[in-house]
Amino acid sequence: MLEHVLVLSAYLFSIGIYGLVTSRNMVRALMCLELLLNAVNINFITFSDFFDNRQLKGNIFSIFVIAIAAAEAAIGLAN
Amino acid sequence: MDLPGSIHDFLLVSLGLVLILGGLGVVLLTNPIYSAFSLGLVLVCISLFYILSNSHFVAAAQLLIYVGAINVLILFAVMFMNGSEYSNDWNLWTVGDGITSLICTSIFISLITIISDTSWYAIIWTTRTNQILEQDLTSNGQQIGIHLSTDFFLPFEFISIILLVALIGAIAVARQ
Repeated sequence: MLEHVLVLSAYLFSIGIYGLVTSRNMVRALMCLELLLNAVNINFITFSDFFDNRQLKGNIFSIFVIAIAAAEAAIGLAN
Repeated sequence: MDLPGSIHDFLLVSLGLVLILGGLGVVLLTNPIYSAFSLGLVLVCISLFYILSNSHFVAAAQLLIYVGAINVLILFAVMFMNGSEYSNDWNLWTVGDGITSLICTSIFISLITIISDTSWYAIIWTTRTNQILEQDLTSNGQQIGIHLSTDFFLPFEFISIILLVALIGAIAVARQ
């Protein structure tokens, strides 16, 4: 159960790396970067759900990752 | 969520399948508008997955920020692209694409090997005995609020400043 979700997030991570390296367009590279950050977020939430059900430290970190991704997407798309 | 086990598993499997296909769609579709909509589908499915994992606050934040703001921003940027940047010929499968797919497959296989070789049950057992069982009456959002205002107060303020600076910088860059 835990391993299936981790395999899913590893798949999204590797697909994101492939798309980021082989994209000729800057907007497509940004989309693949969002895929990477979301894969990492899935990992954090899954670990927080399975191991840290009372204190939810993984949830806090993924909120920060979402905020940083929003800031970086805003700057990246302004160019 | 407190669903029966079979419904929980069925929802997880279906969300996983949609995520797999959506991820392939983001990377492999040539039309960037289709690719952006596929990214929106992936983000919505990830938000539903967070609801299944008892993280309602992060699911709502993901839906609002990622789908509602970042995906819309990406669609704006895609709409402003010229037609000359569209429709690259997909038959240009270069050597670099092949090498990258080989490297990404090896990364994926090594990650799967690490995941299956780790003894998760030992970790669950050692963390269960260390958890304090007093916070049973607060919901998910309340627990996150408590953490953000006491333990993680300084990162919270810093991230507000980072967001402000990033948006001011984006406007300053785009004005030229």
